[in-house]
Amino acid sequence: MREAASVKTAWRTKRTPTTLQRTVPKIVVARWMSLTAGAVVLFLIACALVPQWIAPYSPTDMQADRILLPPGSAYWLGTDYFGRDVFSLIVYGARESLFIGFASVLVGGVSGALLGALSGYLGGWVDSVLMRIVDVIMTIPGVLLALAVAAGLGPGLWNIVLAVAIASLPNYARIMRGQILSVKSRPFITASRSIGASELSVFVKHVLPNSLSPLLVMACIGVGTSILTGSGLSFLGLGVLKEIPDWGALLSQGRGYLTVAWWICTFPGMAITLFVLSVNVIGDELRDALDPRKRRE
Amino acid sequence: MAKVIAVRLLSCLAVVAGSSVLVFCILYVLPGDVVMNMIDPSSMSPEAIANLRHELGVDRPFYEQFLHYFREVLRGDFGKSLVNSEPVLPKIFAHLPATLELAISASFVSLTVGLALGVLSAVHRNKPIDIAVRIVALFGISMPTFWSGILLILIFSVFLGWFPAMGSNGWNTLVLPALTLGMLGAGFIVRMVRNSMLEVLGEPFITTLRAKGLAERAVLYRHALRNALIPGVTMMGILAGEMLAGTVVIETVFSRQGIGRIIADAIMAKDLPVVQGVVLFTAIVYVIVNALVDISYAYIDPRIRRLHNDRRSGWA
Amino acid sequence: MRKGWKAPFIALFLIASTILSSCSASESKNGASFPSGASEANESTAPASGGELTYALATSPDTLDPHRSGLAVSVRVFRTIFDSLVAQLPDHTIKPWLATSWTVSPDGKSYTFKLRQDVKFQDGTPFNAEAVKFSFDRILDPATGAKNATALLKPYQSSEVIDDYTIKLNLETPSVAFLGNLSQAMLGIVSPTAARKYGDQFGQHPVGTGPYKFVKWDENSDIRVERNPDYKWAPELVDNKGAPYLDAIDFKIIPEEATRIGSVQSGQVGAIETVPPQNVLSLKNDAKLQLFQVNTGGLPYTLFFNLSHEPWNDAKARQAVQYAVDIDAIVKSLYLGTYERAWSPLAPTTFGYDPSLENGVKPDLDKANRLLDELGWVKGADGVREKDAKKLVLRYVDGSPNREKRNDIAAMIQQQLKKAGIDVQVEITKDVSTVVYTNQAYDLYGNSQVNSDPVALNSFYHSIAPGARPTLSHLADPEIDKLLEQGVVETDDVKRKEIYGKVQRYIIDNAVILPIYVFPYTVAATRDLSGLKFDSLGYPLFNDVSLAK
Repeated sequence: MREAASVKTAWRTKRTPTTLQRTVPKIVVARWMSLTAGAVVLFLIACALVPQWIAPYSPTDMQADRILLPPGSAYWLGTDYFGRDVFSLIVYGARESLFIGFASVLVGGVSGALLGALSGYLGGWVDSVLMRIVDVIMTIPGVLLALAVAAGLGPGLWNIVLAVAIASLPNYARIMRGQILSVKSRPFITASRSIGASELSVFVKHVLPNSLSPLLVMACIGVGTSILTGSGLSFLGLGVLKEIPDWGALLSQGRGYLTVAWWICTFPGMAITLFVLSVNVIGDELRDALDPRKRRE
Repeated sequence: MAKVIAVRLLSCLAVVAGSSVLVFCILYVLPGDVVMNMIDPSSMSPEAIANLRHELGVDRPFYEQFLHYFREVLRGDFGKSLVNSEPVLPKIFAHLPATLELAISASFVSLTVGLALGVLSAVHRNKPIDIAVRIVALFGISMPTFWSGILLILIFSVFLGWFPAMGSNGWNTLVLPALTLGMLGAGFIVRMVRNSMLEVLGEPFITTLRAKGLAERAVLYRHALRNALIPGVTMMGILAGEMLAGTVVIETVFSRQGIGRIIADAIMAKDLPVVQGVVLFTAIVYVIVNALVDISYAYIDPRIRRLHNDRRSGWA
Repeated sequence: MRKGWKAPFIALFLIASTILSSCSASESKNGASFPSGASEANESTAPASGGELTYALATSPDTLDPHRSGLAVSVRVFRTIFDSLVAQLPDHTIKPWLATSWTVSPDGKSYTFKLRQDVKFQDGTPFNAEAVKFSFDRILDPATGAKNATALLKPYQSSEVIDDYTIKLNLETPSVAFLGNLSQAMLGIVSPTAARKYGDQFGQHPVGTGPYKFVKWDENSDIRVERNPDYKWAPELVDNKGAPYLDAIDFKIIPEEATRIGSVQSGQVGAIETVPPQNVLSLKNDAKLQLFQVNTGGLPYTLFFNLSHEPWNDAKARQAVQYAVDIDAIVKSLYLGTYERAWSPLAPTTFGYDPSLENGVKPDLDKANRLLDELGWVKGADGVREKDAKKLVLRYVDGSPNREKRNDIAAMIQQQLKKAGIDVQVEITKDVSTVVYTNQAYDLYGNSQVNSDPVALNSFYHSIAPGARPTLSHLADPEIDKLLEQGVVETDDVKRKEIYGKVQRYIIDNAVILPIYVFPYTVAATRDLSGLKFDSLGYPLFNDVSLAK
């Protein structure tokens, strides 16, 4: 999803030569930022997929004779209190972290969009009821909802995903519903319906493509938010203890060493920050690229 | 106007009722035996456990339990802590000032910093200053708050010694937590203000004003900014939720004595009535703030009210 | 909160390891306020009166009712509010406190105490034999819901008030550990008036005879006690027999390590407890701070095998784990030399400790593998051993939050045992009481117990009556039972030592446990604080504490 998004952006900016000529610096700057962001995201996805090709050491190898070594040529980002290589840990930890991010967005996004689509399409009392439910979920801030779920279900990867997904569901539902309402009333939809197009084909051909872009933008930002929420839960002691910890767990477990061995928590923290920052940059870029009004400009 | 308010209030009540159902479901339908969590089963006889179960009402069917809970909540009774049998609502009120203090000052930081940087960014669109502001704002929303909080403690209390590292007594204990939480909010606001400023600056009436020869400063601050700020009112509502939720982590980092800390501790102790009470309380606050925002919104601009109602996205 | 701390905190030991940062330097610079318990006696100037101390605790007490508490952190506060009948010195001798003298009946089953006549509770209630009887009967009464105090009071049966200031305590069986237990804060004497008045809310309104009186408790943040001006009955543990020098103490609860350390480094609080090992090293070099470290005795942090679970009921399988685990590497990596490694079920400073166990078990992966091979466990394709299509799994349960880096020990053992083909499944739970004590769903679980008498071993290694709650080890060996029972009543120290030596060697030889570390209680304080002392259990005493003006 992420690669697709950045590729799309690049493609769009290339295809608008007039803009390019008028505001060259803008494009260069914009592309510089989103290209860097794209590269970061791609690299981290690679880490999640094939960590064994990237990490120089095993992430679980604990050696008492190499604990708390500062960053250097042998251990690029130093070693932690177990004597594990921090860089390898981050590389391997990417899988878990990105999983939390993407899975919760997928679950929350798909179910939210479905709910919103139903609501917008059917209208009437279904709409009222569904939107009331969405209102209710919105009243409980994401972190609190995640905490409540974790308190009930106990810590667990899927519980974090579920909690974040539930919390983000209203946003997707609303966007989808709003899009559908605005698209539904446009003349060309009425026109295609009048020439006998089925509801489903109208939805697939016209409504969906038009609604997808804001959802994509939200999803990008959502991936970052869920990773942050996950790390917050780790901090509060509701995280998951794994042989290979995710970044949030690394950051929160290493924070006690900040004054003694800053590298243990700083690099995982930077991984989180960089990743969230990158998806946000991409989200922004997508928003600009997909906004019809900006495109006209 | 009165009708708008009345309808809004009614739907608020409905939403709060809904929230209480949701909170109740999350905590009570989930697996795990509340009673077994409370006690040391080996130290009590099965009859004593059954009695306790009855006393707490957990042996009754779910809907009965819920109705009972809801009735008590309507009466203002949020139940009692399982840890020290302290009533939940007074406990929340006792810890509310510290949280309000933090949420309000953090909102203040968010708004001032966010507005200033947002306008700066929009005005200098795509200049280095804009890029810098945007990156700073992105950092604000991309850093886990417990991490930035600890960094601030290290810098400002350990190395520089300017502000205390913890506590919730006195303005100086408020500086670091408000800054930490405020940075997060500021990140959001910068983006919001920048976007809506740019949008407004592209409107025809701005071109007209410029064509009329109005000074750029006046165009920007008297006309563009004012219009750009209208969505900002909505932002306040969302911000209220974010700030309240953010206090859970922040209050733990800075050992502040607020409701965020209560819920964090209650979760550790499996003190479900307290978790439930705090979550429900937050939901109520959120609904009230957003209802106020909604009403004031309609008050500011009837046009928006209509538009808003058309799009019917409630309060966001 | 953490049921894992099910400990009768009988008696702990103060190994005089008051670590002072840059001793000599500070002495020459700052001789008058040289801060150390040990050098207190040499001071010529009188301690300054007045001032408030802020003392940061790492976790919140569960209650301030000594009889209903189950946490060590609560005891740190109890010692300011409550006194005990007797006091125990670091050398295990018992000294008078609220009792001036006592006699023991020849059969060892009744103790007669003469009480001080000049003592008043902080609420004005007179202290007398009735109050003592009330306190102990209160612990016995199931309605009180007493926790650790119940185990400590055993084998107490009843009290007889002989006159206002004489009381006779009757025991079911003789107990050598009884007097030592009476010295503990969890058997502190509470005001009968207040306990009756507040009922189960007494924990929010504690009243005792201690040097400080309770003022208020803001939950999870702040406990305030102020000087008890009438106080004049301090035990031999401290120099200042009268009212304390400090006006008040604020116990602040600061769970976040970085914040706690930051608050003492920036001078915002006067002292903090539980300094993490990695910071011990750096705080030692901080010229503004002084560091106290008191080793605790009793049961060190110990991993207990659940002997009722296959395949760990076989001593050979457990020995394989014993050889595969490198405890030295664990203690060295995680505690950086600030914690001592444990070798026996008892800590070194506890009565009866058998030093011959030291350096006895050496890690030997080959031997571990050999033992498992002999048992028929064969390594599968994934490196995990199997037998009869069952994997060799060790369920390791530990509590959350990660106290004293115990979760990290689990992580290390998981990796170490992987090399021997054992699949360690670590479960970190907030709900230790259900997982461990109710469901018994563990093969390995760690716990410690602050204690100075080896009688503590009974609640971990003595077999239990049918239907009663099993011990952590589930050990049921008639021979060990007999030894443990003898240990309770044996009055001859030499013979008693022998008994406990046998017990300890049996436990290690049969790999019933893996002893890990001896926990040191650490306190970092600013340099203007002096007179901080610790009782024989390692709990801080604030009677002598003063702040330089």
